[in-house]
Amino acid sequence: MYSNLITFLSLVLILAIPLIITATGGLFTERSGVTNIALEGIMILGAFTALIVTNRITPESVGGPFVLYLIGMFVAIVTGILVSILHSVASIKMKADQIISATAINTLAPALALFLTYTLTLGAPNDDKLPIFSGFKIAQIPILSDIPFIGDLFFRNFYPALYFGIIVIIAAYIILYKTKFGLRLRSCGENPHAADSAGINIYKMRYIGVSISGGLAGLGGFFYITSFTTSYHANVAGYGFLAIAVLIFGNWKPLNIALTALLFSTLLTFAQGIAFFPELERLVTQTLNINLNLISMLPYLVTIIVLVLTSKNSRSPKALGQTYDKGQR
Amino acid sequence: MKKILSILAVFIFAVVLFACQNGAKTEWKIVMLTDVGTITDKSFNQGTWEGVKAFAEEHEINHMYFRPNAGTKADYLEAIDLVVANGANVIVTPGFLFETAIYEAQTRYPNVYFILIDGVPQLGDYSTYETKSNTVNILFQEEQSGFLAGYAAVADGYTKLGFMGGMAVPAVVRFGLGFVAGAYYAANALSKTITFEAERYEYLGNFDDLPNHTTKANSWYAAGVEIIFVAAGGAGNSVMKAAEDSSTVAVPKKVIGVDVDQSGESATVISSAMKQLAVAVQQELKALIIDNAFKGGQTLIKGAVEGGVGLPLGASFKFATFTESQYTTLLNQVKNGTIVVPQTKAELITFLSQHAGNPSITPLVNRVS
Repeated sequence: MYSNLITFLSLVLILAIPLIITATGGLFTERSGVTNIALEGIMILGAFTALIVTNRITPESVGGPFVLYLIGMFVAIVTGILVSILHSVASIKMKADQIISATAINTLAPALALFLTYTLTLGAPNDDKLPIFSGFKIAQIPILSDIPFIGDLFFRNFYPALYFGIIVIIAAYIILYKTKFGLRLRSCGENPHAADSAGINIYKMRYIGVSISGGLAGLGGFFYITSFTTSYHANVAGYGFLAIAVLIFGNWKPLNIALTALLFSTLLTFAQGIAFFPELERLVTQTLNINLNLISMLPYLVTIIVLVLTSKNSRSPKALGQTYDKGQR
Repeated sequence: MKKILSILAVFIFAVVLFACQNGAKTEWKIVMLTDVGTITDKSFNQGTWEGVKAFAEEHEINHMYFRPNAGTKADYLEAIDLVVANGANVIVTPGFLFETAIYEAQTRYPNVYFILIDGVPQLGDYSTYETKSNTVNILFQEEQSGFLAGYAAVADGYTKLGFMGGMAVPAVVRFGLGFVAGAYYAANALSKTITFEAERYEYLGNFDDLPNHTTKANSWYAAGVEIIFVAAGGAGNSVMKAAEDSSTVAVPKKVIGVDVDQSGESATVISSAMKQLAVAVQQELKALIIDNAFKGGQTLIKGAVEGGVGLPLGASFKFATFTESQYTTLLNQVKNGTIVVPQTKAELITFLSQHAGNPSITPLVNRVS
């Protein structure tokens, strides 16, 4: 029972991490005034390049799986930033519609990844899938893992992604609310003309905002793919779009994003993993005779209900989605 | 949009492939249409294409594949129109979703040969069936494959089993039926006690590789299931991930793959309930093109006797105590009819009561279909 609860909770956390990281990326770009619905595509490409690199390196040659994991993370972040620059150049410099350039990336990403995998034989011959190294899980951290409960949940059998997710949330909060840069970034998304008159370089801030989102989305893609499957088919199952939903649901605030992602992942894990709690499962399926498909609807039902109740307080950045033009004043 | 692009990409591939094949001697042109899924699905699309490719390359025949826009009758017919207009005269279609499209197409194009796998042409009401002389249907006895896997798992000492199917389509249902039959047959014959709860038999609703399925498989393993037979295409990879993650506990968790030998996908895959699509497709293409003995109008059943189903041997046979010779004995019993594996729920009930010691597993049987 106890070990089931631990497995359940660690699945909840690991499911929330890619959402939190990607949504936090979205937070930076949207707070700077640029929408980035290309998160899905960037996740796909970030995971893609990270896998290409990590598949070609043996963990022994770099000093263990964790170092390999760091390398994969680095590659994913760099790829994400590079891809997002396509979006920022198009939407900031060329003043193209932000939705269109992002959609182009979303369309391009899976096709490009599949095409390259197949033609360059990056995986097995005649295959468009990439294998995923399975040894990234860390068995335990000595001493810390002996702490009751906390040790079992955070220091035993975990993916390093867990910590990076927590770091990203805290860092995002500090950067956005406690630094000069954060204040400037937020002002670009609220009233860019006022910010400009105060001497802030709107274009530069927005480039940085989009790049952060790209880096984090790439990272989110890598975390997603190393946590949930053994083979990569240029597909992150819509988690990039889900991250945007989490961002909006979380009302463009870092801590709310984390809570939203955790709520969603808890409900989803519960709906799919009711077998973790055998007594409850028996109660639901045998005593109450409820169809399990109804349980599977839970995350979506609750999301809709909570959204209806909270949408009144939802407030997006004012200048979100608008191209900034100095001459418009 | 994504789909359109991928279709374009496939089409370009196809044209390139076609261009490479200009030196062919005959006027045959084989086109395979893919079902939902891709040519690299490690499952029936890939198996079929490998058969087409192996045959066509050996005999230097034009061949290509084409991916219809979507998995509907209209899209399939449109794809058939298109490839016929481009000179195709042999069309290979894997998947029962093609049944209604082929029903119409076989009349519309009497000079084109159709090889339909996993289905029988019908009007869409599952009562008006017709197979014309230019069409041959190939069905597999998936239940035999599932039976062998179920028997092997129990004989090897696994006592807590689970089954995940993609959707309750005929082929997947037969895999599941056979698995249940095999497990309880072995439990009875070898006097073992097994647990196969009704809740551990489930159709997932799709064939996709999703975190939902990883979570579900994780929870099943946590609930004590030792081995899951997953007949659900890409979802197999989700289950393998869960097995890998759960294998730190005392008993390593295992997976049985489906359709093709999936042992290369993960170390947790100890066997695969295969159906030899590539072999069957090659046999029928050879009958049509080389031997001039096309079995038009017929529905061919490929089972253990025809070498159409079975478990992989050699390095992919990863059972600890169940040996290859024991497997061969069992396979021969299935081949010569000593064991008649049930194909329907009614037959399963009879089979369980007559050959498996009549276990009281009505809830499980009711989950089968």
